Amino acid sequence: METILLLAHADAGGALAKPAREALRAARTLNKAIAGSNLFVGLIGENVQAAADSIAACPATRYFGVAGAEFGQSRYCTDAAAAQAIIQAAQATLVVAPATSRWNRVLPGVAQRCGGRIDSHVTGVADADGQPVVNRWYYRQRMEASLTRTQRPWFMLIDPGSQEACECGAGAATVELVPVKLAEAGQRTTVVGIREPKADAQTIRPDAPLLFVTGAGWTKKQADGQAHVEEAGKLIVDFLKLSRASLGSSKSLVDLGGEGQAVLPFLSHLNQIGQTGSTPRHAKGLSTCCHGEEPHTVGWRFIAERRAISLDPNCGWARGKADVLYVADAFAVIAELNKLLG
Amino acid sequence: MDYQIVVCAGIVPDPLQTLEPVAAATGPALKNEMMLPAVLDPWASHALYEAAILAKNAPGSKVWLVSLGPKAKLQQVMMTVAQKVPFELVALEGPASGFTEAAEVAAALAEAIQAIPGLDKSKLLVFGGWESASRGAGATLQMAGERLGITEQFQGVDQLVAGADGSLEILERIEGGRHQVSKCAGPPALLGWATGSLPEPKNNPQIGMANMRALMPALQKAKPAKLAGEGLKFLSVTLPKQLRATQIVKDKSPDAIAKEIAEWIKT
Amino acid sequence: MNEPEQSPIERPRMDADIVCVGFGPATAGFLSTLSKELLNSDGTAAVESAVAPGLPLQVLCYERADDIGFGVSGVVTKARALRESIPDIDKAGIPMAAPVGDEKVLYLLDPAGASRRPALLRLADGFIRACKWALPFEREALNLPWTPSFLHKHGGMVLSMGQFMQWVGGRVQSTGAVQIWPGTPVSQALIEENKVVGVRLLDQGVNKQGAPGEGFAPGMDIHAALTVVGDGPVGPIGQQLDTHFGMPENHHARDWAVGMKFVVDLPEDTPLKPGTVLHTFGYPEPEIFGFFYVHPDRVASLGIFVPSWFDSPVRTSYRYLQHWMTHPYLWGFLKGGKLRSWGAKTLGESGRRGEPQLAGDGYARIGEGSGSTNVLTGSGVDEAWATGAQLAGAVLELLKAKKPFTKENLDAVYVQRRRGSWLEQEARVAEKSRDGFQRGFVSGMIGMALAGLSGGRLVLPGKPLRPWERIPSLEDYFRGRIPAAEARKIRDDCYARGVSAHAALMERAGWPAIAYDGQLLVSHQDALLMGGKVQAPHGYADHVAFVFPNQCQQCGTKLCVEVCSGQAITPGENGVPNFDREKCVHCGACLWNCASASPENPERMSVAFRAGTGGAHSAEN
Ligand SMILES: Cc1cc2nc3c(=O)[nH]c(=O)nc-3n(C[C@H](O)[C@H](O)[C@H](O)COP(=O)(O)OP(=O)(O)OC[C@H]3O[C@@H](n4cnc5c(N)ncnc54)[C@H](O)[C@@H]3O)c2cc1C
Ligand SMILES: Cc1cc2nc3c(=O)[nH]c(=O)nc-3n(C[C@H](O)[C@H](O)[C@H](O)COP(=O)(O)OP(=O)(O)OC[C@H]3O[C@@H](n4cnc5c(N)ncnc54)[C@H](O)[C@@H]3O)c2cc1C
Ligand code: SF4
Ligand code: SF4
Repeated sequence: METILLLAHADAGGALAKPAREALRAARTLNKAIAGSNLFVGLIGENVQAAADSIAACPATRYFGVAGAEFGQSRYCTDAAAAQAIIQAAQATLVVAPATSRWNRVLPGVAQRCGGRIDSHVTGVADADGQPVVNRWYYRQRMEASLTRTQRPWFMLIDPGSQEACECGAGAATVELVPVKLAEAGQRTTVVGIREPKADAQTIRPDAPLLFVTGAGWTKKQADGQAHVEEAGKLIVDFLKLSRASLGSSKSLVDLGGEGQAVLPFLSHLNQIGQTGSTPRHAKGLSTCCHGEEPHTVGWRFIAERRAISLDPNCGWARGKADVLYVADAFAVIAELNKLLG
Repeated sequence: MDYQIVVCAGIVPDPLQTLEPVAAATGPALKNEMMLPAVLDPWASHALYEAAILAKNAPGSKVWLVSLGPKAKLQQVMMTVAQKVPFELVALEGPASGFTEAAEVAAALAEAIQAIPGLDKSKLLVFGGWESASRGAGATLQMAGERLGITEQFQGVDQLVAGADGSLEILERIEGGRHQVSKCAGPPALLGWATGSLPEPKNNPQIGMANMRALMPALQKAKPAKLAGEGLKFLSVTLPKQLRATQIVKDKSPDAIAKEIAEWIKT
Repeated sequence: MNEPEQSPIERPRMDADIVCVGFGPATAGFLSTLSKELLNSDGTAAVESAVAPGLPLQVLCYERADDIGFGVSGVVTKARALRESIPDIDKAGIPMAAPVGDEKVLYLLDPAGASRRPALLRLADGFIRACKWALPFEREALNLPWTPSFLHKHGGMVLSMGQFMQWVGGRVQSTGAVQIWPGTPVSQALIEENKVVGVRLLDQGVNKQGAPGEGFAPGMDIHAALTVVGDGPVGPIGQQLDTHFGMPENHHARDWAVGMKFVVDLPEDTPLKPGTVLHTFGYPEPEIFGFFYVHPDRVASLGIFVPSWFDSPVRTSYRYLQHWMTHPYLWGFLKGGKLRSWGAKTLGESGRRGEPQLAGDGYARIGEGSGSTNVLTGSGVDEAWATGAQLAGAVLELLKAKKPFTKENLDAVYVQRRRGSWLEQEARVAEKSRDGFQRGFVSGMIGMALAGLSGGRLVLPGKPLRPWERIPSLEDYFRGRIPAAEARKIRDDCYARGVSAHAALMERAGWPAIAYDGQLLVSHQDALLMGGKVQAPHGYADHVAFVFPNQCQQCGTKLCVEVCSGQAITPGENGVPNFDREKCVHCGACLWNCASASPENPERMSVAFRAGTGGAHSAEN
């Protein structure tokens, strides 16, 4: 019999973030598909009651929690001990968790401690003849596999944005608090804090409906034989302000700094999308001045609607990857667009 | 303080190559896998460069590179990295495929690390990429770390500053383009690197010559790793249906295009 | 040519016994032969190093490309020299290798009606079409019922240069006796008092012009008793030695071609068997020859050669390759296929006439850059390998006799070996075989047949012109097809947009537009990306330079822009072209596709092609 455990961390305010609700959706999908399975919830945080209450209406039958100041922070050693304690208390066989940076860091190690296995970047769960099956990606979002495992506990890290968030309502949940003894040796790391991006403007907005992707073309010589990097920078920043889009970039563009060329000061490797960058999820994506071959296209994997502005009608990005390609000067189009949005 | 830095780095197809899955007798594989040019995994290469800098600034330190892959491919890839930074290779023979099970790879890596003669855990830093361009899981390092008993682990690392007191200040990538800053008392610790901040080191033939002395013997000694994919069953591996019917708009003015895009953004 | 100025910077130095420049088939032949003899079976030194006493001979090889096996070639080969070095080559399981099977030579007629065919050829075309029911004619191609034996490759192999070189490289290195370092271009030979004492590696951490920048790492000097130069037909070290030591009397390298190829996944129902070898001539222009070789697993290597004696100011290989592929005969095999890989490279077609000084104090030349390629039989790999193997034999002989690598000693053991071999005999037959092409395509074909069949005794005379001497003006070239003013306008319009003009001009002259299909018929840039996976590491200087900008300003043809295999050379300000290192595939065509002579050397032109990194990242070409 499978015992499905949704494992989540409560955020600073004690609430459950959207990725946790998405993982809950996946856990419920499994619970429904696998006859006779249990659905439990496990929560870690400084306080977990509020988080538990916020989903009390879901069909989970037991709530486990590890609470305390040291569990309010994202840290491998404390998180590992807490997660292990809950999984053991719940005797979980399937551990479903949101793929947040915190869980991505620690849960593989916990899987090892519990003698289990883990799949990360899971984008779907299902069943085949009553057995759980996951869909996940290999080669950095270049191919998708569907697989099943016999080992337990089996951990599944659910990619944020891949499931609908579970909308189950609030109520009063009974949380069984699990004690965790932290060995002294396990407290060698202190969390100092969070560092915001250096740039004045926050450019990465995971929740934005639109991803705005900039390519190296913005810094290349234009029809007049000159590069217009400053103008490009202003157009882009203005557009971001007006559209509230999240900023992505091709590798070429962020790398240009390495060649000593003028680059856009607000861009860093964190903006890079693609095989060696990120694969964000947004409903829409607008590509500008990108040529876009495979390592770049990987970054678009989870962008639903895609449009592009490029001078080159034959560029690889146009053929079969965008829904619409506007063959035009991005400088002119974005300037006009900013007027319309302003 | 001096460190013993062990960098775990696999080899992957050069990212620009076209990849296609095929079904082989032993499970999924890449079409023409052995024919594709290979490189050291991009994030793990960053880890290697960061390790080299750290070792250089902390005299007495040493860097090992632990890599699992088909011998012939490993040999080839080593020739493209061995001129970059000094390291000693620990080679393991086995497939470099992304479809090999992370837990089994982790077991093989941990075993190889444990077998390094003279390893001192109080100086040990295990480095690697936070994800690989092959398995793309971001799970192998943590499991290897657990097997080695390392409870101070960091992933998505962009920066490491070693303090004079032996402490390590570490910046990890978190959501929203931000970094978490942590301070770790010192080794043993494990760091899965993101991009880091170092440019690729230049080729240095003298480093190449020095590395070479141990390289070929290490390759000859490479032990086969046990990778059975136990308990794991692939039902399918497919390329995403990525071909879209692209509408190419050629003759519209910037104004008209802007209008169209503005409407599209709003809906 | 302008040597980069000797800078006062301190350069690190390293010492080896032998240093090799480039890892092509020639150096592979050299190292394969040499490495077998350097170690005893217990790993001790069979030949002791002079620079590291007690250790085995220290042999280093530096290759400019980012990995070994990123070279470009056919390849079909009789594999005589290869088999001698690697007796088990047929059974070695080299990827993409197949024994030669069906061989055909095809004369392609012109289905587009745009080809520039001389009157005689048009007459022949008419005759073939009229009698096609009686001839082996299908899909606009005549299968020549008889071909001279010197063209045959039966008993030989179809190989992929990339896969073969990777295989050989791995094998050679695993002996532990030699080291091959890719991604490490040699910038120049170190010459002291007419003696080559080693090589200098390329500076790193410099800007486009070569000036030190962030992370500057001056190229290291590698000193060695022997420098083996196997850097191919356009290699910078070969160029430097040719300039420094001069060519032997009456020798010059004036005949060239750029070969461009696709590696293709053939459609599933292909009738072509592995080992099939097709050669074509006649289309898209009579001067352009084509090849089509079939590997196992439904893969084919195919491409064309655009030669220096195709007198066009807008010659291009990519566009012509597309027209060639879409010829009905070939398209019949290719339709439904998919691009796997793409590449381009210069072929040195001067053969023995382009042979430089083969050896000097401290150095020896091998491979195509030493004039080894046989243009009559269309064979270069086996010949290059043979020269390398011969040099290795000679070097071992000198090492064992403890004789130094002087010109005299190398002449006696290496050059003599070469002169006495089949290579030399066949090179002599081929030497003047293509001179007829100097006077046109038809006389060229007759000349080749004559030379081949008479063992070189009969040739059609013709004096090879220097490449720059033969470029007609745009107006002259399109006379009768496009009015002069219009041709100029088309070109000016293209240049104003920063792109080459050949596509627009060809279409105006009657060539059909290419119907892109995203699979096989793709834009030139997509060929670079999907096929060649072209890239360039940061921190190196531009290796292509326009060293006489005032000549470019006055240049009316911009042949360099038109021919560039990677669209890396584009029209620039004031008539001086731009160069984009990230698109260069190192084909070397710009070295000989320039319309103006160097003021310093009439055998050279206004473009400098130097040592550089990057290029294609495919090991299948
Ligand atoms: C190891 C490795 C990893 C990689 N990982 C990644 C990755 O993670 N992410 C990634 O993005 N790439 C990655 N790549 C690189 C990738 O393959 C491409 O090189 C890169 O994405 C190309 O960048 P680009 O499209 O911005 O620039 P370019 O190829 O230079 O294209 C610029 C485009 O802009 C157009 N343009 C110029 N001016 C204008 C204008 N005024 N208006 C409209 N269009 C204009 C041009 O026509 C051109 O099409 C990787 C490559 C390697 C080798
Ligand atoms: C399209 C095409 C098709 C062909 N088809 C056939 C065929 O079917 N059969 C056949 O027998 N031959 C064929 N050839 C010819 C054959 O490929 C050549 O003759 C052969 O490759 C020559 O070998 P090589 O070792 O002399 O030189 P190359 O193969 O040119 O090798 C020289 C090496 O030196 C490196 N190098 C250059 N400069 C430097 C530097 N500064 N520092 C370090 N390294 C450097 C280069 O990157 C290269 O790897 C073909 C050629 C082409 C272009
Ligand atoms: S290099 Fe200069 S002179 Fe030579 S063809 Fe190009 S533009 Fe003309
Ligand atoms: S610039 Fe590069 S790609 Fe263009 S012709 Fe020259 S060598 Fe070939």
